[in-house]
Amino acid sequence: MMRRTKQQRMPTRRRLIDASLSLLDRQVLDIDDVPVQVVTDIELSEVALDHPIPVGSPAPTVTALLSGPVLATRIFGGRPPTHRLHRIDWAHVAEIGIALSLSVRGSSLDVTWVERWLSGHVVGRIPGGHDDPE
Amino acid sequence: MKKLLGLALGVLTAIGGFLDIGDLVTNAVVGSRFGLTLGWVVIVGVVGICLFAQMSGRVAAVSGRATFEIIRERLGPRAGIANLAASFLINLMTLTAEVGGVALALQLASSIEPWLWMPVAAFAVWLVVWRVKFSIMENVTGLLGLTLIVFAVSLFLLKPDWMQLATQFLQPATVPADAAPQASSTYWYYAIALFGAAMTPYEVFFFSSGAVEEKWSIKDLGQSRLNVLIGFPLGGILSLAIAGCAAVVLLPRQIDVTALSQVVLPVAEAGGKLALAFVLVGIVAATFGAALETTLSSGYTLAQFFGWSWGKFRKPAQAARFHIAMIVCLLIGLGVLATGVDPVAVTEFSVVFSAIALPLTYLPILLVANDPQYMGRYVNGRVTNAFGMLYLVIILVASLAAIPLMIITGAGA
Repeated sequence: MMRRTKQQRMPTRRRLIDASLSLLDRQVLDIDDVPVQVVTDIELSEVALDHPIPVGSPAPTVTALLSGPVLATRIFGGRPPTHRLHRIDWAHVAEIGIALSLSVRGSSLDVTWVERWLSGHVVGRIPGGHDDPE
Repeated sequence: MKKLLGLALGVLTAIGGFLDIGDLVTNAVVGSRFGLTLGWVVIVGVVGICLFAQMSGRVAAVSGRATFEIIRERLGPRAGIANLAASFLINLMTLTAEVGGVALALQLASSIEPWLWMPVAAFAVWLVVWRVKFSIMENVTGLLGLTLIVFAVSLFLLKPDWMQLATQFLQPATVPADAAPQASSTYWYYAIALFGAAMTPYEVFFFSSGAVEEKWSIKDLGQSRLNVLIGFPLGGILSLAIAGCAAVVLLPRQIDVTALSQVVLPVAEAGGKLALAFVLVGIVAATFGAALETTLSSGYTLAQFFGWSWGKFRKPAQAARFHIAMIVCLLIGLGVLATGVDPVAVTEFSVVFSAIALPLTYLPILLVANDPQYMGRYVNGRVTNAFGMLYLVIILVASLAAIPLMIITGAGA
């Protein structure tokens, strides 16, 4: 996992994108345009550390959008244990614009568990929690 | 016809919604100490908030992204979280001041102790945020806030020496040459307070998020521009009327404004009980409306920064973290008020801190309003950018000068 990777090639669109500019800190929306998270970090396919990279080896690709306690580590350095990260598989990303759109529902993703828990246990239990404002 | 009604409604709401506890208190304080000599700051502030609100509204309508999503995107995690912390705390301070203001106004109307009104006010704010539709919330508080026009009416009823008021207004900075050097820094300290009261950051968070809530598109831009460009300056005239009333009644008698009762004193003198009733309705509506806006803004800033689902157009259960954040903020505000701090003092500090924090929100909006990836062909025009740069300088100077002036003057004492 690298913190900042410049110019990942998007195979679908053949468009050059600066990952730190156009992916990091962008809002992620699900298929119904419901906000899911902000891209706190991205996961890249494995690159062997501390070894010279042989000429002609394939460039690393983005494999997932990450969230979890990554905001703190991006600010203060270090990296959180892998099991505490929430991943959204790159295959779910449908479109990259001023926000990233997913091809799945946000409620089906691990990353929204806090929202679901609070919704089920707190907000949903207050009278009117499931009604549209009038 | 329907369009015209919509426009009228928008303008009226903008006038009524312009004033909050910060404007009420600061304008009365300034009027009672400096007359209308600081009136020019209200004009600078009103032009600034027109520019700022119009720009953030346009960004939200074109790109669908509200202010704090943009701040996060543009500033990254480090500067972004520092910005969030500052903006959020100042918003919380304003929220506390507004809820306290509702309680003080209800105390004037009922002579029931304000600490008994505070939980009632906070609960009412939550109830509206929880259940009432965005457009109804905005229109009702805005229209009731229009009763504050009674300040302008009172100014006429007081039959002031108009020439004297005009001279004060047109000859700013009339600090007597023999005055202590302290006097001039106090003048400038209150200039910054007045500027902060007119250009409060929460107004921008609320305005841009409101554009998303009401699903503005590009074709609504014309209407929103008119609302702002007509409504806010008329609201600014009400600000001047408050300062004018204080200048006519309080300044000659050297009455210092330390409580809400002194803010409404000139109105009571001019128009008796009826005018007092109007002004109390207006103050309750204005502070209650602003309490709603700041409460929502606290939810908006957090949700947008962390990418949570937000908005009053969703059922609360579909924006759970957003609603929890607002409940917690209201409870914190209530807790601060329960310590017995004077809401008027909180207000006086909150407007100065607003001025200090202003560049943090202003700069990212100015940058994005010029970014064609977000804005397409709706990027800032040349005139807007010229004003935008001018205000960037003004905002930076005010922000940098605020803390030294606060120390030199002992917070305007």
